[in-house]
Amino acid sequence: MTTVRTPDPPVAPKAARVPGSPDRPAGRRRKSQPEAFAFLTPWLLGAVALTIGPMVVSLYLSFTDYDLFTSPKWVGFGNFAHMFTDDDRYLQSVKVTLVYVLVSVPLKLTVSLLVAMLLNTRRGGSGFYRAAFYAPSLLGASVAAALVWRALFMGGGPVNEVLAFFGWHTPSWVDDPQFSLASIVLLGVWQFGAPMVIFLAGLKQIPAELHEAAAIDGAGAFRRFRHITLPMLSPVIFFNLVMEAIHAFQAFTPAFVIGGGRGGPADADLFYTLYLFEVGFQDFRMGYASAMAWVLLAVIAIVTAIVFRTAKLWVFYDDAGERR
Amino acid sequence: MRRTSERRTLVALAAVVPLLLTGVAACGSDPGGDGGDVTITFVWWGSEGRANLTKKAVELFQQKNPKIKVQTSFSAYAAYWEKLATQTAGGKPPDVLNVDTRYLAEYGGRNVLADLNGGAGKAISLADINPELAATGVYQGKRYAVPWAQNTPAMLYDPAAFTAAGADPAKGLTWDQYADATQKVSAAGGFAARGATDFGILDTTLEIWLRQQGKQFYTPEGKLGFAADDLRRYWQLAGRFRDAKGASPADVTASYNTSPEQSPLGKKLTSSEFAYDNLLPAYQKANGKPLNVAPYPADTAGNTGQYRRPSMFLAVSARSPQQEAAAKLVDFLVNDAEVGKIVGTDRGLAPNLKVRAQLAASAKGSDKTLYDYEAALEPKLGAAPPVPPKGAGAIQKLLQRTYEEVAFGRMSLDDAVSRFMSEAQKGLG
Repeated sequence: MTTVRTPDPPVAPKAARVPGSPDRPAGRRRKSQPEAFAFLTPWLLGAVALTIGPMVVSLYLSFTDYDLFTSPKWVGFGNFAHMFTDDDRYLQSVKVTLVYVLVSVPLKLTVSLLVAMLLNTRRGGSGFYRAAFYAPSLLGASVAAALVWRALFMGGGPVNEVLAFFGWHTPSWVDDPQFSLASIVLLGVWQFGAPMVIFLAGLKQIPAELHEAAAIDGAGAFRRFRHITLPMLSPVIFFNLVMEAIHAFQAFTPAFVIGGGRGGPADADLFYTLYLFEVGFQDFRMGYASAMAWVLLAVIAIVTAIVFRTAKLWVFYDDAGERR
Repeated sequence: MRRTSERRTLVALAAVVPLLLTGVAACGSDPGGDGGDVTITFVWWGSEGRANLTKKAVELFQQKNPKIKVQTSFSAYAAYWEKLATQTAGGKPPDVLNVDTRYLAEYGGRNVLADLNGGAGKAISLADINPELAATGVYQGKRYAVPWAQNTPAMLYDPAAFTAAGADPAKGLTWDQYADATQKVSAAGGFAARGATDFGILDTTLEIWLRQQGKQFYTPEGKLGFAADDLRRYWQLAGRFRDAKGASPADVTASYNTSPEQSPLGKKLTSSEFAYDNLLPAYQKANGKPLNVAPYPADTAGNTGQYRRPSMFLAVSARSPQQEAAAKLVDFLVNDAEVGKIVGTDRGLAPNLKVRAQLAASAKGSDKTLYDYEAALEPKLGAAPPVPPKGAGAIQKLLQRTYEEVAFGRMSLDDAVSRFMSEAQKGLG
């Protein structure tokens, strides 16, 4: 490392009276609100026209029977009742999605944490590996990655061949109801880059003294992991858990591509979002699809709330004084 | 101080307001107008190759009608319907659109398509189209669409494999003979590749099989035209092929999708598949071996249940402000001899009989096979069934996934049959 420091950029002389600057009395500040709104307008327009507006419309549609072409008919809670009492495919989509969330999220977090710990040890080339491991998650919801996955796992594909070499003859993974969902879970896990990078940042924040002190006291690697790394990392785990759970609930592209756009063999990959899409855009039942979307939103909100509640029990903040 | 802040608010507003106005203006702008050039949009489904042919035909139309500009776009079958549904819901369906018989009621019955019996539709000549074929575009008395091509449900097969098994599908087989032949074909290849693609998932094959027994898939009232017992017997027939390993294993069956390149026969995993006769060249290209087309197996000779099918339709949007130009394009695509030469048999046989006769006289290769096949079959073909009701697109997928439950051994035949019947009745309302 060179020791030459680039000089600090010159500090701009403070303007005598910068309007709206923090040193002005609080009463003055309120006066500038109209212009704040004026500058916010582009964003506000976007939010209202593209997010809030459609959400309000979809909430209304969820109480109607709407076929996209003729005007919606009010049906009250009919759509919601139908979902839970008269629709086997809906229940199947709930089951598939829950299995996916419950399997893929813990698996992905475990893998990303292990890889992050591996990269955290100072070895040559860790920068390269960090980039290499992160790359798949850049392809996140990409159709291309899912297509490649389908080619890898289909009948006579590389996965079949390799397993057959070891004596395990499997059918086409993507076309068999027993294996199909597993191939999608693996695709999700493979894209562990985003939580991995966040874990890595979290690991770098853990003071080395803690590990050194514990090592001197005779704590082995596992005990140090259990009693230092995990507690110190718990806020990061918490963040990753919430984000990944939300993503998993909303998974769509891999299921759409790998399942051939129809929920896979015998509905084995019928993800919630996929069924919602099919109901709305293929079966022309947009009212029902809207109701499904709102149920999904409610479920994600509830799950997130539960995770937040339990956070008090297992998330440790170093600055305990400010702990809420 | 106060004034400067006010001025800045004004400046900010001045910056924002034009943005708003242009947005509003863009929403309100009216396409076409001034009596001069008009622009129409035209969409279809299919492959890149088909798109190139279609674009050539559209170019020819523009040369002959310099005042009409046509904007084209295309997508694969499934994506096409999703896109079209969204565009239609947004109030901007394309002016000229490609419609499938499975979705004709869906769009026609909801007043998305213009009635071509009157108004601008008078520009479309049906004089040289087989009247039975032309009638397939009529739903509840209104002509919502015009056939763009004709095809026939048929069996496509590898003649070398079947000759080796001692069978000649082209001469017509019984279902028993077909079952026997497929088993032999599978055995000859050590059961790695199979004699037939499992047809338990195919709604068209079920329809033909029902017609052979004097039944129909849908009644004219739009209900199911068959009972649970019919479906049970159909799936038992498919089960015989599957159990004898004459038909594809479940995971190969599940990989089926409607594109020839990705179907089991196209991927050389089976030696025969039920599809449509016009797909012969595409299947042949995917499979690599010379393939042939044969009538459906039938237990009574001559009663194959096959019919003159509108392979696809052209329709005009009821909301189009340019219906005259749109109808002109439809007429051109359906009746022009030059267009017939350009597009060939890609979508099926030309609907215009005069054009078809010209093309048949000069056909070569797999095209010739196709024309000869249709010419031989023509007198035996029945009239097309009534237009399938709303929800028919979903029934196709329902049949596929309930049969998969059976093929993978996850559900008993009886349970799958009753699930199909109850979901189908719900879906058809």
